[in-house]
Amino acid sequence: MQFLYSGLTSGSIYGLVALGFNIIYNTTGLINFAQGEFVMLGGMLIYTLFCMFEIPFYTALPLTLAGCFIIGVLYERVFIHLARYKTEINLVTLTIAASIIMRDVAMHIWGRDSLRVDDYIPVVNVQMPGGVISSQSILIIAVSLLVAWGLNFFLKKSKYGKAMRACFDDQTAAETCGISVRNVRIMSFAVSSAMAGIAGVIISPITFVTYDDGIMIGLKGFAAAILGGLGNFWAAVAGGILLGIFESFSASVIPSGYKDAMAFFVILLILFIKPDGLFGRKKATRV
Amino acid sequence: MLEVKSLSVSYGAVQALSNVSVHVAPGEFVSLIGSNGAGKTTLLNSIMNIIGNSKGSVTFDGKDVTKARTPKIVTKGMAIVPEGRRIFSNMTVRENLEMGGFTRPAGEVKTNLQKMFDLFPVLEERQTQTAGMLSGGEQQMLAIGRALMTSPKLLLMDEPSMGLAPLVIKEVYEKLKVLAAGGLTILLVEQNATMALKYAQRGYVLENGRIILQGKASELLGDNEVKRAYLGKEYKEKWER
Repeated sequence: MQFLYSGLTSGSIYGLVALGFNIIYNTTGLINFAQGEFVMLGGMLIYTLFCMFEIPFYTALPLTLAGCFIIGVLYERVFIHLARYKTEINLVTLTIAASIIMRDVAMHIWGRDSLRVDDYIPVVNVQMPGGVISSQSILIIAVSLLVAWGLNFFLKKSKYGKAMRACFDDQTAAETCGISVRNVRIMSFAVSSAMAGIAGVIISPITFVTYDDGIMIGLKGFAAAILGGLGNFWAAVAGGILLGIFESFSASVIPSGYKDAMAFFVILLILFIKPDGLFGRKKATRV
Repeated sequence: MLEVKSLSVSYGAVQALSNVSVHVAPGEFVSLIGSNGAGKTTLLNSIMNIIGNSKGSVTFDGKDVTKARTPKIVTKGMAIVPEGRRIFSNMTVRENLEMGGFTRPAGEVKTNLQKMFDLFPVLEERQTQTAGMLSGGEQQMLAIGRALMTSPKLLLMDEPSMGLAPLVIKEVYEKLKVLAAGGLTILLVEQNATMALKYAQRGYVLENGRIILQGKASELLGDNEVKRAYLGKEYKEKWER
């Protein structure tokens, strides 16, 4: 049972990152390999504001998220918008370059050491059937589900969320409705970055934050997105949670040093067997 | 209302449109006919600036919109029903219509929505269905409805008859007739010359990217050249090949 709880915790984070991949994939058709760096930046910003400048947490949190939001906008403007030839392979390569740049800049600003973000909620271990779960883990799971639900609500009910979905469907048609695809693209990067920022904030007290955190978490989020199937939001969350549980149970049977390899094993397996992901792409087509 | 002056578009070495000039007066129903590959869709798309490599000028309502971005043109009162309908197939019928009203204030969206349901009762019945599940004719109605939700002064229509059964085509044109009678200005491009000219007041014939004929729709319908090329009298087989 203990494995299940820790799997759920890391799985929720993968799910959040996978959601970020999905948003950008849906509006631009791109895999943003700097997604993990956004998570790292979220952790770094909360460390800077909350631990270094000792701003109260409930002020630091919105500032961090706003910071991530702005970074997302700048990221789109600089790396995606300015690209001269916008072919997918060029842009995806650019996102990899961007991730390296962000990592190096972070190393220069925050150094090479792991930084510990102080606990911002009281730490208690809750007795659960078959194990314990920390209050921080509960927070992670709850926040992840809340964000997923909020995103779903935003896309289904709000005018701008619907406009985003219209762009997922057909960008030219969206333009003819007066929706600016450029703005939707900027917004999708910003929202995706802010969500990664949330992930960074909620894991930082458990995992600490290091300048090169982004690689692993980004790739695992990507694995989760592939596992669930790109293009489907709930599948991304489910994929993340499944991946987390799988990873944590695998650590009980094989040496835990191989734990990180499990994510990539999952990617390979899925790409061989069911390339559309477990839940495929739900698309209405007439027969 | 719309004034297109010597518009030229080329795709690489291929000249899709050369020196095309078209004008549409307020309240008019104008049809532009031409065979496959004549440049009809290119013309509409460059008027809306969906493709942006055109030379020449487009004036709408007295303002130059040659370089304006598509969403901007839409807010100025020009709407397009694109080729192949291009509805948002993963969204519901109602959401599709709401997206048409994206640039409009909420109150206007509400009244427009009711108007659309009155005009196309089938859309009201199916408002919660996923748009991709509609039949071809219903999708065409939805595409028209979505374009009308922008409260346009001028509606551009790209091949409304494409892939539809004759009876359904007639239904679509009857709806256009109602809209035109209600004061909407329409510029329609179409391969189906008979239908397009029957309902229009004025027409143009586009061939290989050039306007080769223009005049009253009824005169064009009787024109030998048009008959030969588009209405498929005895030469049909030769031309279709």
